[in-house]
Amino acid sequence: MSAARARRRPPGPGAPARRALLAGLLATTLGGCGVLPALPDPVPSDVVPSYRASFAPPAHSPDDELSPDGFDAVQRMAVRIRNVGCDGLSTGSGFAIDEHTLITNRHVVADSEDLQVSTYDGRDLTVSAAATARLADLAVVRTRDPLPSHPRVTPDDPQPGDAVTVVGYPEGGELTATAGAIIGPTTDPLHENLGEVLRTDAPVEPGSSGSAALDAHGDVIGVVYAKTGDGDSLLVPSSTLRDLLSDSDAFSDLPPCS
Amino acid sequence: MAAPHARSRAAVPVLGVLLVAALALGGYLWLTTVRWQADSATWEAQARRYADRVAEQRAETSAVEAELVAAREQLATATDRITDLANEKAQLGDRNVVSQLEVDQQTRVSEAAAVVADALDQCIGAQSRLIDALARDDAATSDGPAATDRFASDVDDLCRQAVDAHDELRRELRGTAP
Repeated sequence: MSAARARRRPPGPGAPARRALLAGLLATTLGGCGVLPALPDPVPSDVVPSYRASFAPPAHSPDDELSPDGFDAVQRMAVRIRNVGCDGLSTGSGFAIDEHTLITNRHVVADSEDLQVSTYDGRDLTVSAAATARLADLAVVRTRDPLPSHPRVTPDDPQPGDAVTVVGYPEGGELTATAGAIIGPTTDPLHENLGEVLRTDAPVEPGSSGSAALDAHGDVIGVVYAKTGDGDSLLVPSSTLRDLLSDSDAFSDLPPCS
Repeated sequence: MAAPHARSRAAVPVLGVLLVAALALGGYLWLTTVRWQADSATWEAQARRYADRVAEQRAETSAVEAELVAAREQLATATDRITDLANEKAQLGDRNVVSQLEVDQQTRVSEAAAVVADALDQCIGAQSRLIDALARDDAATSDGPAATDRFASDVDDLCRQAVDAHDELRRELRGTAP
């Protein structure tokens, strides 16, 4: 009993300190495990991310269409018109508004015995009919062969200062694009058109008559029909063109030359 | 002497715990180091593989861009040539039309000249017959002076028409002269 009593001797004054030390060591050890670096994850065999395409396909519009032959839509819609008349030969320009219809000036097709239309790449198109407007220097020519391309005719007339590009065959030569700006509406000095016409500073020459005047988007804003004495050009505005095209009585068949 | 001995006995488990902890820590750190080294080597190898692919693709992109530039230049040249050929064809067509119009005009002039020549020939023939008649004075014997005057008037009309046709032809020829 005395030995047992001796083993159960009450703890001395240093026992709490030892327990505290052990507890501290244990806590330090366990706490230190938290700051140790973790083992690395296995290296994946492929780390290439699979992104979804961030670009959308281009919207379907004439502006975004790819050219089939390297020529842009502005060039492809222009045509050269040869008027073989009773009094001789003259040339002018025109442009397509649908697959078989093109627009030009009345004076380009007047007094014609034979109208010959050719495209930007030299192809000849067979003309099936022609009609002229009574109230504007405009004419409609129908072709049996399809036209390569046709632009949109804007419903609204351009404002002064807007950019304009004229695409046609000045002097009956190469297909040419000239740039300028809208000066503003004016009365027709030639009295060929009912209502106002547009004046621009885009340079034109004889043979440019019937050329399409295009805005910055490639839409038709007018049809060239004359050149002023001071070098400006005059356009039949697109509003007049649209009005006449929507009126079935606005055009009459082209009379043969005499 | 009992107290230091008791303290050293009490330090044994503490030191044992510290030793075990130190060994465990060392082992863990060694394992971690080895794993990270292997991991780093694997990442580096993969990075180099991707770098090689990037280099290859950059080279391919450069080659494709060079081909694209060349193709664009060729396309521009081709479109320019097509435009030139279209213009040449149009000019030739214009010249052909003008030539045909000139041929037609020449044909009309030739036909008109033949008509004028025929009219002048008839005029000359009629004048000859009138002169013969006046010389023989047989017109008066057959139908009288009135018939001679009528014949002379007809000859004048015929010759006036021939001269008018001739003048018209001359005017037309002056108008078409280059």
